[in-house]
Amino acid sequence: MRQDNAVKGLRVFGLASAIAFAFPGLYLIWRNFTSGADPLGLLFNNQTLQPLWRTIYLASLVSTSAACLGTALAWLTARTDLPFGKMWRVLLPVPLVFPTFIGAAAFIRTLSPGGLASEWLTAFGVHQTPQLRGLFGAWLVLTFFCYPYVYLPVSARLKQLPGSYEQTALLLGDTQPQVFIRVILRQIASSITAGTLLVFLYTISDFGAVQLMRFDTLTRAIETNYLARPPVSFAMSLILLALAAVVVTSERAASRHLPKISTHQSHPPVRYELGSWKVPSLLFVVATFAISVAAPVAALADWALRGTLRSDGRPLTVSGSKIVEATVNTLTSSIATGVVALLVITPIAFLANRHKDRIGKFAHSVVISTFAIPGILIALSLRFWTIRSGFIGSFFYDSMTLLIFAYVVRFASLAIGAASVAVSAVPTALHDAAATLGADRRRRFRTVDIPVMKPGLLAAAGLVILSTMKELPISLLLAPIGFPTLTTRIFSSFEEAFVAEAGVMALVLVTASAFLSWSLVLRRTNTL
Amino acid sequence: MHRIKIFISSAVILCATACGGAERFEIDGLAAEIHSGQCAEKSDDVVTIYSGRKENLIDPVLRAFECASGINVQVRWGKSAELAMLIDEEGNQSPADVFLSQSPGPVSFLEAKGLLAALPETTLNRVASQNRSDADTWVGFSGRKRVLVYNIDDLDPSDLPSSVFELTEERWQGQVAIPATNGSFMDWFTVFRNYHGDDVATEWLQGMVDNDARYYPNNRSIVEAASRGEVKVGLVNHYYNYQESAAGGSKHRAENHDFNDNDIGSLLIITAATILKSTETTVNAQALVDYLLSSPVQQYFTDQTLEYPLAANIAPNHVLPPLAALQIGSVDFDSLGNGLDETSRIIESSGIQNQ
Repeated sequence: MRQDNAVKGLRVFGLASAIAFAFPGLYLIWRNFTSGADPLGLLFNNQTLQPLWRTIYLASLVSTSAACLGTALAWLTARTDLPFGKMWRVLLPVPLVFPTFIGAAAFIRTLSPGGLASEWLTAFGVHQTPQLRGLFGAWLVLTFFCYPYVYLPVSARLKQLPGSYEQTALLLGDTQPQVFIRVILRQIASSITAGTLLVFLYTISDFGAVQLMRFDTLTRAIETNYLARPPVSFAMSLILLALAAVVVTSERAASRHLPKISTHQSHPPVRYELGSWKVPSLLFVVATFAISVAAPVAALADWALRGTLRSDGRPLTVSGSKIVEATVNTLTSSIATGVVALLVITPIAFLANRHKDRIGKFAHSVVISTFAIPGILIALSLRFWTIRSGFIGSFFYDSMTLLIFAYVVRFASLAIGAASVAVSAVPTALHDAAATLGADRRRRFRTVDIPVMKPGLLAAAGLVILSTMKELPISLLLAPIGFPTLTTRIFSSFEEAFVAEAGVMALVLVTASAFLSWSLVLRRTNTL
Repeated sequence: MHRIKIFISSAVILCATACGGAERFEIDGLAAEIHSGQCAEKSDDVVTIYSGRKENLIDPVLRAFECASGINVQVRWGKSAELAMLIDEEGNQSPADVFLSQSPGPVSFLEAKGLLAALPETTLNRVASQNRSDADTWVGFSGRKRVLVYNIDDLDPSDLPSSVFELTEERWQGQVAIPATNGSFMDWFTVFRNYHGDDVATEWLQGMVDNDARYYPNNRSIVEAASRGEVKVGLVNHYYNYQESAAGGSKHRAENHDFNDNDIGSLLIITAATILKSTETTVNAQALVDYLLSSPVQQYFTDQTLEYPLAANIAPNHVLPPLAALQIGSVDFDSLGNGLDETSRIIESSGIQNQ
């Protein structure tokens, strides 16, 4: 009986969340009607089909490569004796924090022909780097900025995977590669697909990287037409959302066939010795780090140093106190978003995965599809709803609550995959045993669910926090007036070519993210 | 004892607000160069600005205005186009009193939506007639000139064309960067269409596409690419090269080149200030717009942000190329609100964004 009441409560919560997360989608449909847009007519127009095809093609390529890269890195850092393992675990999530509008520009500045790396590479006999543009450029930069979507949840899962299966398989005579394919891959498959889905959805909604790489996808057409031809923008955004819904639904259908996962804490994870693979593995991780972090940071540092050290030029237009203010705002708002996102997402994950409830599964799909909606539409839609909801609206109008709510709508999707895996990983046998021993629901939640779910939930929070730190359109349009973040100030500076200021603040952003990654995601999971 | 303490502390609090003398703003740095002397007493009045002009460029001006007027200024910073959409979404409930746009397109969009108030004649008359709205709803307050940025190691100034129309010639094949979907380029192209007619404008753009012009998303990335030698020349506005070379020093390898004064390629693109119809503080909003057009602020724009002043008879800074002929500038910016959709259609169907 009590069980039923609890599930009922979760259902009400799930339905309410689904409605809240559906705001942007409903707004988009409404705008399509009121602006006289013709999404279907537009869909079968050559000027839409080509960018749509490019969007899908790019997203598929990036998803595949980011899935391989993220999984490989996760396995190396979580389960092997890779040298400097702890350092890599702190540094590898960092690419997530680069706002693409400056991250991609920094990539170009370092790696394109004539860029910072060209002289240095000449010494190694590389005389011409490929020009970073089009499909290749967009694929490269997005793969290296997006692999943490896979890396974080997979390494969280790998770290809690019971060693007993692998030891059994090894005892039965399987070779290590066989163990990886037959045992490990089956157990981490759901984490990989959840992360890969995020990469796909992020790629189709990204604007900064594709526009700087000059690869014409749907988001470019959406962005240029906001003022010039609003109906075209709204219709194309709806097509994007429909694409996301299709992909999310098929992922759910496909993941039903994935093997069931489970976790026993009794056996610590197996650690593999790399042996003769140690040096190649280390080189692989170093190369990943060099491309995804060192290359953009080199350009940022070049901008920052050249601009600050110049003797004749004007003083910086951004003072130290403004940087401190923006850093504090960035940290508080993103951490608050991470916490709220977990509080919203965990009940939905319970409902969908433990109770196999329809409302839970529906809420799950709504939450995750929202990730494909460009941030500016989320901002406009929430403004639309606050203006039309009278008293409640005016209460939220210019508040932190509205900003955090918008961030959560934008990024909670990042947490839901990892949270679902975390919920599914709790072995039912353990739950039943605790119940038999007389532990009530609350106690079981505290002593059974939380410890097993902790690594997954922290990885989920990490994804949300690092992504919120770089968010731009919502921060610009919905933050209370006078609440600058690092990203909004980087944008203001970079847009008007104050590259020194932008470089300095982007380095602060990267440092802050590395610090958070160290303190939030890793230090705690390691003590488990 | 406790009571006395409370009494004293509340007296102190009261005194700080009432008998401690009026509070004044404090300014320093560039803001103090714009407004010298003591600040006015702080009033309770607040003007809310939505600004597509970036904080780095205009914050000292707004601080100086606070000091000069005693009026509090609060700002939502953003992209001009997105702020225009936000204002459109907020309608008559918008908290914005003043909107500052980086180019005429977004203000024209709001003008067409009927969301802008008429400015008083005294304000409008501070600028030449081509730099304000025919419907009296907005006024230009600084300008950026369209130029051709070029790599100084690859090209000599004598090699460079005197008209944008020469860029469709064979010798420029694959050499020209063009920010075809950027806001200020789209505004420029709309004026181009009005000035030369749709046929000529469309033919020119098609000529650029056929001549393998390279598409870039914005001015800054073109100046950066020209400096690296990725492209030889690019159509941008004059502002960005000054910033890049201020930051990069001798490592920056690009310069601006001016087309002929009577060429459409030399158009002055203006930044615009406007007051929202929904404002409840018209007088203060007007004071702010007037302040932007005052002589110390116009001087600041040309000396510090290296833009062209539009009011108060201030001469452009000596490093800027002279702005001799303004006949081109007299073309009608008002067509932008309604002309942008056609511009977007022409640009998209030219295929330039795939180059």
